[in-house]
Amino acid sequence: MNAPAKHEADRLHEMQLLSGNHAVAWGVCLAAPDVAPVYPITPQTPILEKLIAFQAEGAFQAELVTPESEHSAMAACIAAAAAGARVFTATSSQGLMLMHELLHYAAGARMPIVMFNVNRTPAAPWGFWPDQIDSLSQRDTGWVQLYSESPQDSLDTVIQAFRVAEAAELPVMVSHDAFYVSHAVEPVHLPQPEAVRSFLPRTARSFTLDPARGQSLGAPIGQVDWNRTRRDLERAMGGVEALVNEAGALWGNITGRTGGALDLYRTDGAELVFVTMGSMAGTAREAVDRLRADGVAAGLLRVRLFRPLPAEALRAALAGVDCAIVLDRNHAPGTGGVLHQELRAALFDAVSPPRLHGCLAGVGGVNVPVERLTALARDLAGARPAPNPLWLE
Amino acid sequence: MLEILILGRGGQGAQTAGNLLARAFFEGGHWVQSFSTYGGARRGTPVMSSLRVDDRPVRLRCNITAADAMLCFDDSLLDKGFLAQGGDEALIVVNSPRPAGDFQPRAAQRIIPVDGRAIARRNGMGKVVNAALLGAFAAALGAPDLDRLTGVIRAFAPARKDENVAAAREAYQLLSPATEEA
Repeated sequence: MNAPAKHEADRLHEMQLLSGNHAVAWGVCLAAPDVAPVYPITPQTPILEKLIAFQAEGAFQAELVTPESEHSAMAACIAAAAAGARVFTATSSQGLMLMHELLHYAAGARMPIVMFNVNRTPAAPWGFWPDQIDSLSQRDTGWVQLYSESPQDSLDTVIQAFRVAEAAELPVMVSHDAFYVSHAVEPVHLPQPEAVRSFLPRTARSFTLDPARGQSLGAPIGQVDWNRTRRDLERAMGGVEALVNEAGALWGNITGRTGGALDLYRTDGAELVFVTMGSMAGTAREAVDRLRADGVAAGLLRVRLFRPLPAEALRAALAGVDCAIVLDRNHAPGTGGVLHQELRAALFDAVSPPRLHGCLAGVGGVNVPVERLTALARDLAGARPAPNPLWLE
Repeated sequence: MLEILILGRGGQGAQTAGNLLARAFFEGGHWVQSFSTYGGARRGTPVMSSLRVDDRPVRLRCNITAADAMLCFDDSLLDKGFLAQGGDEALIVVNSPRPAGDFQPRAAQRIIPVDGRAIARRNGMGKVVNAALLGAFAAALGAPDLDRLTGVIRAFAPARKDENVAAAREAYQLLSPATEEA
C-alpha cells in the first residue's frame, strides 16, 4: 500500500478499470461455475448483468438460471450443488433475507455454494445504502463469511471462496459494501485464466446425488444423528480459518496479493488499533497513517474472515494493545454493533486485552471521513469504554 | 490527490461523465476511484458522481467533503449546499447561459459558467450535454489532455461519436483562453 508512485504507475498498465461488481463478475467468470441461479436486486444487479454479457460473448459457460425469487434461486443452488455442480449466486439485503430459511439448509446439507452479497440497508424504511446488518444477521446459518475492502479484494476473494467452499464442503458468502465498493470504478488486476484453473482444481465431493445410486439428502433423522451433523459442521468450521489463510498465501504466490483471515496494517508496536470490516478499512488506513505521522502509535486490524470468527488470532493480534476501537457499520438493536459483541466475547479472559470501545460508525451509510476517525482516536485513547456503543453521526 | 464532484439530474449523464473522466485520467497513468450513489434516484432528481485521482492507489472509502473541482450539470442545482461540498479554493464549472457575475461563490471558490446546452445543440447533440461539459471541465482544470479525453469519449459514446467529440472539443477550446487569462 505504501509502494513508491513510480512502481504504482508501472503496475497500472496491466490493470483494467472495473467497478467492484464487475470485478466480482470477472472473478466468477474465471472460476467457471457450472450453474449460476441469480435474482437481480439493487445494488447487486451489475454482477448479474455482467455475467449475462460474458455468457452472450461465449466467455461464461455456466447455466444461468433466473428464477422468480431469491428463495427459489437458493433452492436451485442447493439442488445443483447436490448434483455435484460448482455453483455461484449473488444477492443483497432483502434478497439475502428472503433466502434465510434455505441458508440453514445449504449449510446443513454441506453444499459448497459461493454467494456474493452486496451489503445494503434492510427495509423499513427503504434505503440503498452500505450497511452490513443484512449479512451479519445471517451469522448463525452455518455459512462461512468473508468481507472485502475493495474491487480488487472482491475479485481475489470470490475466487478464493470457491477453493475454501469446496475444501471445507461448506457454503461461503463474500460481502462488499454498496456503492463504496460495489459501484467504485478502480484499476483492477485480472489474473490469468490458467492460473485460476490451477488454483481451483475440480475435486471429488464426499456426497453427490446421482440417479444411478439410490440415496436421499436431508431426509428426516433421529436426534442423535441430527446432533452429529452439527458436530460435523462445527468440525468443518474449525478448519476454515486455516483454509482461508492457505488459499490467501497460495493466491499471493500467483498474484503477489495475499489475504488471510485477518489483515493487519501497521499494528507492530501499535497502542491504539481500529478494528473493522469491509470498506471502512480503507478510510481507517488513511487515519492510521495520519495518526502515525503525528506520533500516535496507531494500527488497523481488518477482520476479513468473520465466520468462523478467528478468535485465537484476534486475541494474538490485540495482545498488549492499549486501546481498540471497533467500527461497526451495522446495528443490532438492543445490543449495539455485531463485531463489537463478537470481539468482547473473543477477548473475555484473554491475557492483557485492550480496552475495547464499540462505535456504530456509518450505520445506514452515513459518511465517516478520515478526520472523524482521527478525532475519535484522540477522544478514546485514554478513555474508559462505555458499556453501550457510541453512535458516530 | 485531486477530488472531483459531478452533480447532475438523473438521466443527464453525470454518472457516465464521472466514469469517462476517470478513464481519461487512468489512461494518463493515474490511479482513480469513481463512484456514484443512486438507488432511490429517478430521472430528474439530483445524482452525484465522485472521482478521486492520485499517483498511488486510492484507499479512502468515504464521501468527498472538500472537492478541489466540481462540475454542475444544471445551474438550478448550484446552491449553498453544493458549494459547501467544495473546498475554499474549488474550481466550479456550471452548465448555464448566465454570466459569471450571477453566481455567488463561497470563500475563494471560482465559478465558470459554460453554455453546454448551446454547444451541444450546435454540434448535433440536442439536449445531451455531458461531452460538452467534460470538454469545458477539462479545459478549466488543465487536465486531462484534450486528445485523451476525446479518445475516451469516442471509444465509449454509444452513438453520435463525431458529434460528441466535436462538442467536447468546442467547449474545451472556448474555455481554454478564458482559463489562461484567469
